[in-house]
Amino acid sequence: MLQFLYQQGATSGLSQFPHILELSAKKNASIQLQSFPEQVVEGLCIYFINEGRFEWKINEQRHVLFPGDVVLILPGQKFGNEKGILDLGSITWVQIKIQKLESGELVPGKWSGMSDHESVAVGKLLSLNNNPVLSKLTDGGRILNSIAFEIHHHELGFVTRINQLIDELLITITRQLTKQNNPPRDFPKVFMNLEASLRKDLSHQWSVEEMAAIAGMGTTLFNERVKNFTGFTPINYLINIRISEAIKLLKKKEVSITDIALDTGFYSSQHFSTTFKKLTGYTPGEFRKNNSYHE
Amino acid sequence: MKCIITIELGTNAVRIFAFDLNGIVIGSMKGFYPTFHSQPDYSEQDPEQIFITMLYVLKNLLNEKIHPKKYKVASICFSSSMHSLLAVDKHGVPLCNAFTWADNRAKNEAKEIRGSALADAIYDSTGTPLHPMSPMLKIAWMKKNDAQTFKQAGKFLSIKSYVIYQLTGEYLIDYSLACATGMLNIHTINWETQALDFAGITPDKLPQLVPVFASAGKLKKAYQNSLGLKDDIKILAGSSDGCMATLGAGIWKSDKATITIEDSSAVRVVGNKMLHDEKKRVFNYLITEDCFVSGGPSNSGGGIFEWFAKQFGDFTTAYDIESCMNSLLQEATKVITGSEGILFLPYLLGERAPIWNPDARGMYFGINIKHERQHFIRATIEGILYEIYSIGKMLNEHRNISSLSVNGSFATIPFCAQIISDMFNKPVDVTRNANSVSIGAFLLAATDMGIYKSLDEAASQIEVGERYSPAENNHKIYMKYFEIFESLTNKLGDEFEKIAELQ
Repeated sequence: MLQFLYQQGATSGLSQFPHILELSAKKNASIQLQSFPEQVVEGLCIYFINEGRFEWKINEQRHVLFPGDVVLILPGQKFGNEKGILDLGSITWVQIKIQKLESGELVPGKWSGMSDHESVAVGKLLSLNNNPVLSKLTDGGRILNSIAFEIHHHELGFVTRINQLIDELLITITRQLTKQNNPPRDFPKVFMNLEASLRKDLSHQWSVEEMAAIAGMGTTLFNERVKNFTGFTPINYLINIRISEAIKLLKKKEVSITDIALDTGFYSSQHFSTTFKKLTGYTPGEFRKNNSYHE
Repeated sequence: MKCIITIELGTNAVRIFAFDLNGIVIGSMKGFYPTFHSQPDYSEQDPEQIFITMLYVLKNLLNEKIHPKKYKVASICFSSSMHSLLAVDKHGVPLCNAFTWADNRAKNEAKEIRGSALADAIYDSTGTPLHPMSPMLKIAWMKKNDAQTFKQAGKFLSIKSYVIYQLTGEYLIDYSLACATGMLNIHTINWETQALDFAGITPDKLPQLVPVFASAGKLKKAYQNSLGLKDDIKILAGSSDGCMATLGAGIWKSDKATITIEDSSAVRVVGNKMLHDEKKRVFNYLITEDCFVSGGPSNSGGGIFEWFAKQFGDFTTAYDIESCMNSLLQEATKVITGSEGILFLPYLLGERAPIWNPDARGMYFGINIKHERQHFIRATIEGILYEIYSIGKMLNEHRNISSLSVNGSFATIPFCAQIISDMFNKPVDVTRNANSVSIGAFLLAATDMGIYKSLDEAASQIEVGERYSPAENNHKIYMKYFEIFESLTNKLGDEFEKIAELQ
């Protein structure tokens, strides 16, 4: 196996790719102390295990890795080996600088060819993910090798090609992790996982694409399944949750109606008011007045 | 043209139907709401989401199916799942989520009362088995474990009472659903003091008791406007899903029993007095002063078979869980009656009737080296149905049941209906209506409007489908196995408790 190490700023080769912090392949034939200590990573790291068995601690959790595994480490997470050593074997990895929004969400940068919608969805799914190991994802290794090939050879169009390959890598990983996180035969379970994600982050402007991706299916099938199971379209089901949570907040006097609207995911207090009145016959203000008591 | 709307607040979803006055379905819609299990034994639902989902579905149904065709809504009749408990403050604002029937947190309170001298007296007056599902025990739990909420509570409601309160501003509960709280004296039709004392509350903490035909008050102005309904609509307090499924199945004669098997199941009979079971295993729900629905509920049913399908079904060719279950059923038919000696105890979710043991667990018994996969499939189905038979046997101690009617997605599978007929050695009529709860609620509302003279007459309107006749030979085989099934269940009490503790 060819070993190489490209690092942003330190070695040449990545000058046309400011978003790639590191690209490397390493065959480790001897155990060395302090060669692989736990460290906080700056960018999004994607490792592929070619050979060997590795024991890593990722975000405070121990994992044992085998050939074919892809490992995903999010920006700001701690990762490395507890004893500081790198086990015998070979690995390939890339570290990508990825934009982290104030809300904590990740968004691929301008280099990406993904549409705004898709890149938000991919970023959302990556940041929601809490299992960093994707087993038997050999496609991940193939794409990393292709990226390395392009960087070594500088053929015509290699800049475009590499950026496309990174997109492909992110999409492949995101698809795999939604599949891995969802039991294939149990839609009720899949739906309840999604339900919990929606509730955890109700102020987010969820798109059907994101919801479908969390459920691990395409939007057409997802729409049909949700409609069948809940009686509502995905967006209308979400409105149900939003209004229910809003009602609870309206019954408590401390929170302002504008804050309630935004906290529960409406675009504005106007949007909240219209939706609320259409369903209940009351404006949020009237509803609050009817349900508040002067003691 | 007038129409009747029925609203069923079920375990997982609200189902709303619109019927014309001949009982023909004009339209129906459902809306799912989730159940939260934040801890083992906890099973909760958000009352606001249930209300909003109900409102949303009702509005869609009215706008899409009723208003465009110029139907005039004459009445709205409610039914709901039983045993839910919701504590609200003195202004009617929920203090926490509602506890569903499946919530088992009050299991210590259940053990305590079952071992006490009160047990007999409370069962005699309420006719309801003492089980953690009972709101009486849930309130007792809250008093001990969540004193803050208990103290703040102005009322203890059922989910249906809360939804009606939102719509009309009245706190009420019908007799049949009140029975399911474990606190109604079914002889005096008033709250039972001993039960209230055990729960630690006074009658003013409970909604007003009303007959199933009672008006639940006028729809609030805002909802009249948003739904496009007039203020002359009668809102009926209605009943519980179990009672309405019985009415909707047309079973209203004392020598008949109805078997409902969906995810879980129940066997019920109707009569003019309470069935007094010495072992306190039979529930008695009062619909009107002289009409009781009695029987036993089981946690086992189609849900257990679905579990089996998910674990052991073949999904390489099956498109989804339904087609997978169908191919399993195909395989099961290749095995002879009795599964060549494998028995299955279906207590994966603990069990209610007839053993009332939340610690009961499942098992396969009698496996030998010749048994193959398909034997397990058939044994699983037979095990689920032996459990139904054991409830029927319990009821037969009180009533001479001469024929059966089955409904629900699992019981109406021809293969299952035939096994039921063979096990009971009785003819079985299959009611194909998937929505017997809604039909029951329609019949209730129609009787209230004077379309039928009585609930008896209303029930007789239900047409039955195919009839299955028992095969004497199979019955003999099943009875040999059932004897072992029953003695295994009885013998394993201690082991059930020990294994449940480890899980």
